[in-house]
Amino acid sequence: MDYYLGILQTIGVHTLLGLSAYILLLTGQVSMAQIGFFAIGAYSSGVLTVIFSWHIYPALAFGAFLASFFAFLVGFPALRVKGLMLVIATIAFSEIVRLITFNFVWMVEKDGIMVGADGAQGFREIRYFTTNGWESSQVVLLIWIFVVIVMAMLWWLDRVKAGAVLRAVGNDELAAQSSGIDLTTVKVAAMTAGGFIAGLGGGLYAHAVSYVDHITFTILMATFAISYPILGGTKNVFGTLLAVIFIQGILIEAFRFLEDWRLIIFGLIIILVMNFMPNGLVSLFNSRKSKKGT
Amino acid sequence: MNVEFIDIVQSLIDGVLYGSTYALIGLGFTLIFGAMEKLNMAYAASSIGGAYVGLGVSVLFSFPLVLIFFIGPIAAGVLSVLVYFCCFRYLPSNNHLAALMASIGGLFFIDEIISHETDGSPLDFPELGIFSEAYFEIEFSDMFLGFRGDLIFVMFASFVAMLFLLYLLYRTRLGLATRAVSQQPIAAQLCGISIHQTNSITFIIAGVLGGIAGCLAAASVGVISPLLVLPLTVKGLIVTVMGGLGSIRGAIIAGLLVGGLESVFLLLRGVNERDIYVFLLLFIFLVFKPNGFFGAEIDRD
Repeated sequence: MDYYLGILQTIGVHTLLGLSAYILLLTGQVSMAQIGFFAIGAYSSGVLTVIFSWHIYPALAFGAFLASFFAFLVGFPALRVKGLMLVIATIAFSEIVRLITFNFVWMVEKDGIMVGADGAQGFREIRYFTTNGWESSQVVLLIWIFVVIVMAMLWWLDRVKAGAVLRAVGNDELAAQSSGIDLTTVKVAAMTAGGFIAGLGGGLYAHAVSYVDHITFTILMATFAISYPILGGTKNVFGTLLAVIFIQGILIEAFRFLEDWRLIIFGLIIILVMNFMPNGLVSLFNSRKSKKGT
Repeated sequence: MNVEFIDIVQSLIDGVLYGSTYALIGLGFTLIFGAMEKLNMAYAASSIGGAYVGLGVSVLFSFPLVLIFFIGPIAAGVLSVLVYFCCFRYLPSNNHLAALMASIGGLFFIDEIISHETDGSPLDFPELGIFSEAYFEIEFSDMFLGFRGDLIFVMFASFVAMLFLLYLLYRTRLGLATRAVSQQPIAAQLCGISIHQTNSITFIIAGVLGGIAGCLAAASVGVISPLLVLPLTVKGLIVTVMGGLGSIRGAIIAGLLVGGLESVFLLLRGVNERDIYVFLLLFIFLVFKPNGFFGAEIDRD
């Protein structure tokens, strides 16, 4: 049973990660920085509950806000450049964050043992849930409540003017600009919102698995994050969820017997999907898809 | 730690010599970007993959180890053109995102196959024979500066490769076709140049350059490991951006600069923090000089 709850946890957290990349992809930006924001959320909320003994909710909120603040800061220089240059810049950002977590040491003694982040050893013992007597099922429920809230908000976003503005920027920047849309504001806003969602996911992940280290935040995870909305398509939020279930639920879990061949297959799947369905898996269900890739 | 001026100069020298491999990788990215306006994220992976194939073939058939430096680049060229056919050739040419994702898929595909075949552990790579034992010392106004023989060879070999590339680009019909396709693809096609053929040749040339860089980098470190792939990818991209996308001299200068600075950061801040500062440098460039050293070249087109 715990095994299946674990899968549900992973799928939930990865959905948040995918949705954070999704909102940026709506504006036509490919960001590899989401795993950096995820790491900021994970470490900062972990420090708050472990070292400062905060309650979980304010810690999660702080992690998400800190991540969105960094997203806001990164947004300005990174969005001066477009398309492929943005990919390079955001890869560099994620690697900077990963290397900082690799070097980050902040340990205090608590009840006779040292707790906190220990550089390359990672951040162990983020035990808020176990010490406060949460069941695994309650943790899963908490994660999925957040997933549903975020998905509902993104769903609602697509039904109001803000969503149309995002998609307008994604479809044709020049046309959007000539209709009076301020590109920088829209892109930085999308970046900030994406950072918030990724930071929230990071905080939930850190507390759910109770251990994070720099290996959690590699370029591979950044690729996972951006590949969910790209594989799932940007038609609506459910594409991302489907892609997460497909990759994490089926490819990674159900094919466990394939061992390290799974990551080789992951690379192959991306190549094949991009060759045959450059607009994502969604084109399987919908042949007259309007949005072109940029 | 007490760092003297001479130590900084010394590590700058080592770094600039080693940086010539970054320059080669950056050149490869730039060549492909210049030809197709697309990033080939699998480029460093195919370069290291070529070095692995060279090592494997040489050990398997017990060839003299010097042959690695010929088989490796050829294999890298083959891998690179395979990447072209899998990730670029049949994708819609206006869809940069799809090609980018596909080549990231290629990056992981090659990287994971290497990890799978070697169980993720590093392999010994033959060092550069007599060059790795040579060491020159130069007295320069009461300072002694050392030059490692193998690194001098690395730089020399890289420069030979670069000169060969420049000859190919500016003195042959093939180079003329490549430059024509990169400047005006449609006009080039109207003149009877086959775009796909030219692009695949560009990928082969870039792949061979990358294979040389991969072999030289592995030889100067003495080991080859799948862990080389991602840092080489990121640093190659940084070199490309700093030099200005599509600029050849920019990539060479930026490669040497990144190598030198990386080595100084290594001396001052240690191996764990070194790359943070190299990556921060990229952000400084993005803010103050988003087009790199010679980015104006592409703006003119």
